[in-house]
Formats: sequence, structure tokens, C-alpha cells
Amino acid sequence: MPVIVMASPKGGVGKSTCAVLLASEFARMGADVTALDCDPNKSLTRWASHGLPRGVTLRSDVGRSEIVTTIKNADGDGKIVIVDLEGVASQLVSRAISQADLVIVPMQPTALDAEIGSEALALVREEEEALSRTIRHAVVLTKTSAAVKSRVQKELENQLRGAGIDMIEPSLVARAAFSELFAYGGDLTSMLNNPEIVTGGKVDKALLNATAFTEAVYERLK
Amino acid sequence: MSGSNRLAGLKARPKDTGPAEVRKVDEVGEARGFVDRTPRKKPGRKPSPRTYQLHPKVFPQIGEAIATEAERLGITQGQFIERLWERYEGSH
Repeated sequence: MPVIVMASPKGGVGKSTCAVLLASEFARMGADVTALDCDPNKSLTRWASHGLPRGVTLRSDVGRSEIVTTIKNADGDGKIVIVDLEGVASQLVSRAISQADLVIVPMQPTALDAEIGSEALALVREEEEALSRTIRHAVVLTKTSAAVKSRVQKELENQLRGAGIDMIEPSLVARAAFSELFAYGGDLTSMLNNPEIVTGGKVDKALLNATAFTEAVYERLK
Repeated sequence: MSGSNRLAGLKARPKDTGPAEVRKVDEVGEARGFVDRTPRKKPGRKPSPRTYQLHPKVFPQIGEAIATEAERLGITQGQFIERLWERYEGSH
């Protein structure tokens, strides 16, 4: 099954959030998900320390020398591999991209995120050429406003689409529940059904957003 | 969105994982600034666990003899004194 890699040399764009949402939602669909935490900040490991959803296995501390074999060993029919990478330009990132079926480049709707994120997009294209293989890639905008689409976001979307970049719709809205997943572990459904969990946001809206996002990713994997 | 039968259609796709392909990917990445950033171990000699400082003053010829013998044995003067101490302790 597919290998999905979250890549951007910029930190704080939402790579780990995307990885957690996809891992938990694909597991909810019945997939056997292996999540690889390759980020020194260990966001996925922190999430897992509070409890992993059923169907998700986590591997931490995957470095440059073992990334290719770890992905190869985790990949197989009936399995989805999700790789969360560090927010720097490193060989670990370029090696992980080489093993991807889909590279997702999350970016906040800002000029800086777009500029640094475009480095990852350029790298994917160069690797495609070097390996003579198509590596599907797409951008997802993160931490967007639930209420209005800003002028900057509209412009950025137009620019990216104009450059032929595949944009994942919907974007991931700035939701407290997304960030609180790292504090509570599990998935959004368990968060929604547990009355003891107090969140500052609307979990039902977050779940709808995550489900639609995962569906859009699934369409790109077929 | 439910039903694992939908996911069953997704198959594993083989990829090149040989050393030649990895080298090619590394070269492409390095040209774009995606370099090896594996944390390096601190270079240089590790600090010695021998932290206690003695301040003996001895006659010059004894000092020279200790220094020469330590050098001949390929050990430090401190290690030489430790050996002397072991002998001294063993004799009591």
C-alpha cells in the first residue's frame, strides 16, 4: 500500500498534524497504518505516549541511514506507511521522498511558508527526473481560517495552481482539537466521545475537516 | 468514509532501494541543500575521569626518573603513581 511522506524544510507548518490525522483516519477506515516519526521533536511519539488508535503502529527515531529500509520493511499490501519528517533540508528528507507514493507539502498561507515549501516541491521534481519515476505530490494549506479566506490565501492558491501544483481541498483549518490530539493521544472520534476531554474548540467540525482531508488524500492514492 | 474494501484496492508499489539509487537521490538532494544533518559526536578526546590533582614536590632526579619510566611504559605520570599506590596498598 502507499507510502505518504510529509515534507517541508520549514518547521511548524503542520507536518505532524497532517501525519496524525491521516494515520488515525486511515486506521479508522480499516487500514493497518505504520507511522514513522523521523522528527527530532518527536511529536508523533508524544502523541503515541498518550495512546495510539487501534490499527496504528509507531516507529520512532528513524534516521537517515535506516529510513529507506524501514519504509521498505513497513510497506506491503494492506498497509499504509506515513512518514513525518523533520523541518529542515536534510538527506533524511530527500531519501524519504524517494520512497514515497505521495508527498504532501503542508504550508500555512504565508509567503514565507510558500517560499520554503517550494524547495520541497522542487526536490520532488528533481528526484522524479533522477529516478525516472513519477512521485505524486500535493500541497495542503494548514491553519487556515474557518470563517474567511484571506486575500493572501487566495493569492497563494492562485499562484500555486497557476504553477501546476496539485492543491488538496479542503485545507486544514486552525482547530484547537488538532493541536490537542498531541496532549490526549488517540483520534478525534475518541476525543469526541470522551466527556472527560475538555477542548477549546469544536471537535465535530475538526473531525469533519480531517475526514474530508483524508478522503482527498485517498483519491490521490488510487 | 468507511469500509476496508476501499483500501484493499491500494497496493504496495515496488521502489528502487539499492545503493546506486540512494546515492543518486543524495546527490540530487545535496545540490539543493538537502545535506546530511545527522548529529555528529563531539570531536576530540573524551575528558579523563582522572580529575584529582596532586601537588607533590620531589627531588629533581626522582622526578626525572618517574617521568622517564612513565614515558617508557607509555602511560601518564598519574597512571604511574596509581600503579605505585596499588603496590603500596598491596604491601600493607
